[in-house]
Amino acid sequence: MLKIQSISKHFGGVKALNELDLEVEEGEIYGVIGPNGSGKSTLVNVICGIFLPTEGDVIFEGQILSENPTHQRLKKGIARTFQNIRLFPNLTVWQNLWVARNSVEDIKTESSFYRWFGKSSIVKKEIEKMLEFSNLGNRADELASSLAFGEQRRLELARALATKPRLLLLDEPAAGMNKDEIRDLDGRIRSMQLQGITIILIEHVMELVMGVTDRIAVLNFGSKIAEGNPQEIQNNDAVQEAYLGYSEDD
Amino acid sequence: MEDFLYEAVEIIQTIWDGILFGSTYALIGIGFTLIFGAMGKLNMAYAGAAIAGAYVGLAVSLFFDATIIFVFAVSAVISTLLGYIVYQTCFRFIPTHNHLAALMASVGGLFFIDELIVLATLGSPMNFPGLFEDAYFEIGPFGIRGDLLFVFLIGIVSTLLLLYVLFKTRLGMATRAVAQQDIAAQLCGINIHRTNSITFSIAGLLGGIAGAMTAAAVGVLSPVMTVPLTIKGLIVTVIGGLGSIPGAIIAGLFVGAFENFFLYIRGIDERDMYVVALLFIFLIFRPNGIFSKTINRD
Amino acid sequence: MDFYLNLINTIGIHTMLGLSAYLLLQTGQLSLAQAGFFAVGSYTAAILTVIFQWNIIPSVLVAMLVSGFLAFLVGFPALRVKGLMLVVATIAFSEFVRMFFYNLKWRVTRNGEEIGPDGTMGFAEIRYFSDNGWSNFEVTLFLWSFVILIMGVIWWSDQSRTGAVLRAVGEDELAASSVGINLTVVKVSAMTAGGFIAGISGGLYAHQVTSLDHHSFTVLLGTFAIAYPILGGLSNVFGTLVAVIFIQGLLVEGLRFLGDWRMILFGLLIVLAMNFKPLGLFDKQTMDLIKKAIRV
Repeated sequence: MLKIQSISKHFGGVKALNELDLEVEEGEIYGVIGPNGSGKSTLVNVICGIFLPTEGDVIFEGQILSENPTHQRLKKGIARTFQNIRLFPNLTVWQNLWVARNSVEDIKTESSFYRWFGKSSIVKKEIEKMLEFSNLGNRADELASSLAFGEQRRLELARALATKPRLLLLDEPAAGMNKDEIRDLDGRIRSMQLQGITIILIEHVMELVMGVTDRIAVLNFGSKIAEGNPQEIQNNDAVQEAYLGYSEDD
Repeated sequence: MEDFLYEAVEIIQTIWDGILFGSTYALIGIGFTLIFGAMGKLNMAYAGAAIAGAYVGLAVSLFFDATIIFVFAVSAVISTLLGYIVYQTCFRFIPTHNHLAALMASVGGLFFIDELIVLATLGSPMNFPGLFEDAYFEIGPFGIRGDLLFVFLIGIVSTLLLLYVLFKTRLGMATRAVAQQDIAAQLCGINIHRTNSITFSIAGLLGGIAGAMTAAAVGVLSPVMTVPLTIKGLIVTVIGGLGSIPGAIIAGLFVGAFENFFLYIRGIDERDMYVVALLFIFLIFRPNGIFSKTINRD
Repeated sequence: MDFYLNLINTIGIHTMLGLSAYLLLQTGQLSLAQAGFFAVGSYTAAILTVIFQWNIIPSVLVAMLVSGFLAFLVGFPALRVKGLMLVVATIAFSEFVRMFFYNLKWRVTRNGEEIGPDGTMGFAEIRYFSDNGWSNFEVTLFLWSFVILIMGVIWWSDQSRTGAVLRAVGEDELAASSVGINLTVVKVSAMTAGGFIAGISGGLYAHQVTSLDHHSFTVLLGTFAIAYPILGGLSNVFGTLVAVIFIQGLLVEGLRFLGDWRMILFGLLIVLAMNFKPLGLFDKQTMDLIKKAIRV
């Protein structure tokens, strides 16, 4: 579904990504882990079109995404969340979901007037579904900035989901969460997978990554040092060396 | 052939005079740059404060029959004070992420200062004492006006002093640290408000000198000078590359030369139109200014 | 009576000018070019009615289109420069426009009289209303029908998804593009819409004051244009209207006896307002208070 073909991204002299190859299959939950500064967030930004790669191609469903800006990649079905939550703080919860592109085909059959004013029953239903998904049903008219941290994370996830993505990139969604919230997030990620969304999960919280993902890639200094299912990764020497500075065999 | 030579000499002379006068723009540009570097914000009241300083300097000289150096000193002190006041009233208490509000507040400050000047002087221009107005040095076919040379030398001395303070003193280190990484600087125990108010004061000091220089070079002081000086200062800041001090210096001298050249060939009415057009050319072809991005922090 | 009608006209024109900056400010673009678009609108409409003897309505509409098109053209390079660079570029643009009209000379002779823009002397023969026998009251009605129409359209857009999209872009461009908003389209449209509105208000202004002078189109006017919506707050159009009434009605006219002190007061007021209400006088907090008061 998504193919990263020998992508490099340099910032001045810093090589954030170095000839990286990845392939994500349709319907899987693909984890990307790695120490700080290993290029994980740069990878997200390159996939979403915020940075253009110095070299290499991003191929989504057989199409090369070379210079498509972010909003066009979203139209193709690539959505994301941010490591440091980026909501529209002075818009209400409802409006935050409303501005997200509603790509449902059947909305187009309704009069654009109703669609535009949010009075369209389909749009309303979609947004209400998202409110329910994020457990924010009773707070629709409050400003996003007034939400608690965990609620903001849920709203951001719902906002990304409202765009009906086929590939969803989650950039450290569990950062700052407690155990209960992580368990809740785990459930949400699985339910999104069941809806047919392919997920790339970038995360530090091993508990979440090891439990929920189908396959994991490990980045270090912008290159992939290992790839495999959670068990394989846990027993991989190169991974332990990257994380701990030594491997157990030493 | 002789006509052509005469014309060439005139043009070179014009450009040379412009470069000398451009030192005032360079100083104003540096002031904007310092403040932009420190806070990432524009202080629209800046040139207004500079002219206000020159007015107070002029008033003092009228009352006490003081020397020109004293006039410059008073201008500088008053503008320093105004710079500090502008920081405290228009920037200090406004949320840092709210650029609109701070900009608007400093525009309010500009109105306030400007109208205060109009009120105090009844809006009429006043003569400003030049220095070495009679001096004139001849180098071959070219001449150097004494008053412009004086202005230029003051500009150079102030710039060198500023660079010394910024790069050789602890105070300057702190200022540059805040400009580069404000949060990190705060973690290192630098008081950001103190540093910012010092930056505003230093910028004000330069502005006061520049205000007096402008007035001395033109020979008059008038409240209508504030807006053009603000605009030229901003243009210089952008052409120099936002946040670059060497850029501001070179851009200031360049804009001085450029405008004097167009004054010579197209007249006073159209001069400023070409200066603005110069800015557009830069915005389109070189939006990062004369110096490229990599070195524009210092 | 005429005094009050004139004041009401001035308030109407400044409201439109403020609203032309309102949409742009919502998208987070701080433009001081509104005075430039306003000037283009004034001169265009006046040249059409005076030199070409057009009817006022098509003249104002053409003025709107010309200003809007210019704003559209300015919008594209403006995408590349952000924040403070945009402020400087738009100041420069509006000064460029002002100096263009300062140097524009286009005199024609009609019925033995020379008419048209006269460079530094200004453009003084815009007598459409008096030539066609409009009463002052009719002028006011005509002008305010535009004001109400524009306020209505913007109020409407505020309620619709457009308003939310504009604000979303203003709050966080990266997040906005990540949920599928096309930044180029939104920002250039806002700029163009601002140009349309400024063009209309300029065209009406030219005929209301009957003579144009480049001194009216300085950066000061551009500052006023953004000051109204910033002071009034960007939560709804009425904030802008109230700010105009307050500044033009109370401060400029009502306190005329204070003479030059008024402008000093104006400066002071802006500084105070921004310190205590950085999101405008009619921010959400104030609106909630008003709503509560109405309910009680």
